[in-house]
Amino acid sequence: MGETSARMESVLADIYIKSKCELCGLSRAQFDNILAEIGRKYLPADSTQNEVCDFYASLRVEELALARACATGNEHAWEVFLTRYREKLYEIAGYITKESSTARELADSIYADLYGTVRRDGERASKLASYTGRGSLEGWLRTVMAQEHVNRYRRQRRLVSLDEEAEEGAQFATAEPETAIVADPRVEGAVDEVLAALGPEERFVLASYFLDERTLADIARSLGVHESTISRKLDKLAKSLRKQILASLGRRGMSRRQAQEALEVDVRDLRVNIRSRLAQETGRPAFSKKKAETPAGDGS
Amino acid sequence: MAEIPKIVKQRLQANAKLADHPEPNLLSAFLERSLGQREQSEVLRHLSLCMNCREIVSLSGAQPNVAGVVSLTPSRAAWLLWPALRWGAAMACIIVVGAAITVHQRHESVQHPATRASLSSPSKSTQAIPDMAALSRSPNLNPGPVQAAKQRTSRSNSGNHRAADSIPVEMADAKMPSPFAEVVPGRAKDAVAPSDAEPATGGAAMNSPTSGTFFPDDLAAENLAPRWTLSWDGVLQRSLDSGRTWQTVPVASHLILRALAANGLDIWVGGKAGALFHSSDAGQHWAQVFPTANGQSFVGDIVGVEFRDTLNGKLTSSNREIWITSDAGQSWQKQ
Repeated sequence: MGETSARMESVLADIYIKSKCELCGLSRAQFDNILAEIGRKYLPADSTQNEVCDFYASLRVEELALARACATGNEHAWEVFLTRYREKLYEIAGYITKESSTARELADSIYADLYGTVRRDGERASKLASYTGRGSLEGWLRTVMAQEHVNRYRRQRRLVSLDEEAEEGAQFATAEPETAIVADPRVEGAVDEVLAALGPEERFVLASYFLDERTLADIARSLGVHESTISRKLDKLAKSLRKQILASLGRRGMSRRQAQEALEVDVRDLRVNIRSRLAQETGRPAFSKKKAETPAGDGS
Repeated sequence: MAEIPKIVKQRLQANAKLADHPEPNLLSAFLERSLGQREQSEVLRHLSLCMNCREIVSLSGAQPNVAGVVSLTPSRAAWLLWPALRWGAAMACIIVVGAAITVHQRHESVQHPATRASLSSPSKSTQAIPDMAALSRSPNLNPGPVQAAKQRTSRSNSGNHRAADSIPVEMADAKMPSPFAEVVPGRAKDAVAPSDAEPATGGAAMNSPTSGTFFPDDLAAENLAPRWTLSWDGVLQRSLDSGRTWQTVPVASHLILRALAANGLDIWVGGKAGALFHSSDAGQHWAQVFPTANGQSFVGDIVGVEFRDTLNGKLTSSNREIWITSDAGQSWQKQ
């Protein structure tokens, strides 16, 4: 027990030196509290001290110290942060929005959140206080900006004026005809069974490519592999899915021919209450580079 | 690309169940592969079900200038699943082993006379066959421009194979202070090559490495895409293990770096008062570059360096000046 505590003390001391907290005005006690708070957030309650030590050692402590010092309003830390990230904020916003005025607006808004102009209980609430050092500070900023952009886009979509809708033709779009063909529950069951057996990575690849219409390069970047790997994986998955669904339909009493026909039926012809099944996020892809076709039968 | 039946797409979409969304800390760490196995799987599981988070990950991961954050190395296991390639690999192994045996036999036949000569004349043999152990102990020995170039070529050609006899030389090279004694204004490439006339003491004009040990061969040996970052106090750092540990890479002492661009082996860093350094060998050697355009020098604090490829780059100063180059820093234009 004593040895473990000694190791913890030594790790915390090392981390404090590595974080260069003293340069940005954070005391050892303050930084230890920050680490403890992050540990409580991510580690299971029954973690051993060795696990806690390893976890602390894996954090980006220098950037964590800088972010937390900025959140407390340390002038020197802000100076360093601005020198390093001010320009980057605008660059990242530009890459995300692809339009200069929107980019500036997004970057300014994030900057305000980071600085913490909103005051709660007389204290400045800076977004930087939520950075936990799990990844790089720059990566976190990119994700925060992307999240803000997606939220703004969704808010904006809810506020589209009737004129704009009319321009887009949405207002006068032909209503989806009430379909008459009933989906065979065996097909749904077979597809669900096969999809449920997929691993998260396979499902991610399928959903990204076929639902979100992401490019191979985009998916590959997210998973840290080459796009040819994704291409092969998709090809293999598509073939194996079809084969497994046909087999499952066979087990459910369908002949080979019936099963093949059932799979070829256009889903738009099937009366499936998608609205009840769709989660709010799984609507039409918002930012796909490729032109997204309106999801069939989305109930609108 | 094979298509999937529409019913599969529809069920894929319909079965999405929303849970609590991962926070930006986890999403960014997921992209940078900094999470543990369990958390990485949990985030991936969520992403496989949540279009909103996939959208965010896709937007934040699509940023350039993420210096080597994402390894684009093709999955080796997946390649080897292809039977033809598996056979090809087996054939290649046979050829390589055969070639190695042949070369080894020839090398032995050449080496025997040299060994005999060394018995009769020790001082001469020291020059003919350098003592590798001594090389590794000596911090200032430089393999020379031609040898260094050969080593770099062999590294880039051989991929993850490290020739056993080159280790000590590489280590000595790595410990050597950065050779930017020959600073050529506006010409990055010329300044990179180590000088033959360089004194054995390391050269007073060079800034010695500040801290950390840098072994560029580890990069090739482990076949990992290195990540580069700047610490908040302006020190260049490199990670070979997906961001778990970071090594300090010495550039120049007392210099606070504020901008970084990494493009394969080409690394550019910039800092206060127009200090711009370039390495064309993944940080082994550094050359200071003095951008000049129409007789005017770049003197502002560099806050942004961006290189889309090895030739075309952009510098941004704190006073919003933008300078561009289209020839790897040999000439610059002010915008």
